[in-house]
Amino acid sequence: MKPELTYSEAYAKLEDLVEQLEDGGIQLDQLAEKVKQANELIVICENKLRGIEIEIKEASENV
Amino acid sequence: MEQIKLSELLDHIQDTIQSQFEGEAFWVEAQITNVKKYASTRRCYLTLEEYENGTKTAEAKAVFWANTYNQIEIFEKVTKQIFKDGIKIICQVKVRYHKVYGLNLDVMQIDVAHSIGTLELEKQQTLERLLKENPTTIQLFDGIYRTFNNRIALPLVINKIALITAPNSDGQRDFQQETKLNKHQYTFFVTEFLTTIQGDNAHKLILEQLQLIEQSEEHFDVVAIVRGGGSQTDFKPFDDYELAKYVAHFPIPIFTGIGHDRNQSIVDLMAREQKTPTKVASLFVERNFEFENKLMALKTNFFGLIQDQLENAKKELENAKRMVKLASPQAILDRGFAIITINNKIITDPKDIKENAELQTILRNETIFSTVIKKTKNETRTDL
Repeated sequence: MKPELTYSEAYAKLEDLVEQLEDGGIQLDQLAEKVKQANELIVICENKLRGIEIEIKEASENV
Repeated sequence: MEQIKLSELLDHIQDTIQSQFEGEAFWVEAQITNVKKYASTRRCYLTLEEYENGTKTAEAKAVFWANTYNQIEIFEKVTKQIFKDGIKIICQVKVRYHKVYGLNLDVMQIDVAHSIGTLELEKQQTLERLLKENPTTIQLFDGIYRTFNNRIALPLVINKIALITAPNSDGQRDFQQETKLNKHQYTFFVTEFLTTIQGDNAHKLILEQLQLIEQSEEHFDVVAIVRGGGSQTDFKPFDDYELAKYVAHFPIPIFTGIGHDRNQSIVDLMAREQKTPTKVASLFVERNFEFENKLMALKTNFFGLIQDQLENAKKELENAKRMVKLASPQAILDRGFAIITINNKIITDPKDIKENAELQTILRNETIFSTVIKKTKNETRTDL
């Protein structure tokens, strides 16, 4: 996952995943990977809303 | 040559003026200048002027005394305009002459209704000019101004905010408080662009701040122009043509919260208006909350679909298992059918069975060894 992904891009990718699922375009053996991807995308959006990403970055810079 | 004292002459002038004007009051239209207000002693000294084709055609000193000073306060409150140099008023005056202080007009009252009318007319003219000179970017539909700026789609999440406000103002404090202490704990990065929000040059100063925001390397999601409770008198900067035009064409969505309930300034009409600083800030919070809700709905939908797909796969597997079980030779034998083999090879085509061949007929519990005596074709198909 690219770190510079914006929430708009992350959200669009998530929408895309849902669409693929609805269309039956995801094979059973790909499900686990897609769930992982979706979780990462949700975390990106959530972090951006609450600025957690910045806090982590600042904290790691201070170490 | 007969000489008289200056005081005698001026006494004569004073008497003449007094006899001519005493007890009379006149309504005059004039532009005001050299306005000096002394709120503590409740006096205001000013000059009334008249111009024709840009040339001054009349001038007189005037004064508001303590008993009429409230006219200025009423004017400022009602017109939401500061009583200052350059504005035109209609006022009622009385003529007074003093041999030391000269001719003075004592202002008795101001025609506030006329001033409102003038302001409204000026505002209307500015709006018409904006529409006429910017036909593709400023349009009027059903009483609503649609501009390049207020039609820019808002970002899904509002994160980086450029805040134009006056330093140490109520507006600044209210906005910062609402964004920092929001109940959802969203983070906003607010960069302040501080300037005077009222007074003669305010429109230019606000415009300069907008230019700074445009040139900034930060990619702001939105701009908020806010002003707090105490500074509601001066509306004029927000009705300025150049500022309004700049706002209408600004590439980042602008929200205004310049603290007034009854009227809308032209800048409000060109941007997105929210009345107060707190309302602007809560709109940003709500926008992010809306996004989070959509995100949660998407998340639920996604995992629901994953669950459905897994359950479908399970069901399909169960079906397949059942089919396999039903099709197994043992299941067939259990249902009363038999398997015929010759030399351990299952016979599926009767042509492979010759007369005198040795067959093994496998039943559920027994195998029968036999020799073929005779073969005949069935006359009709046996649909078992």
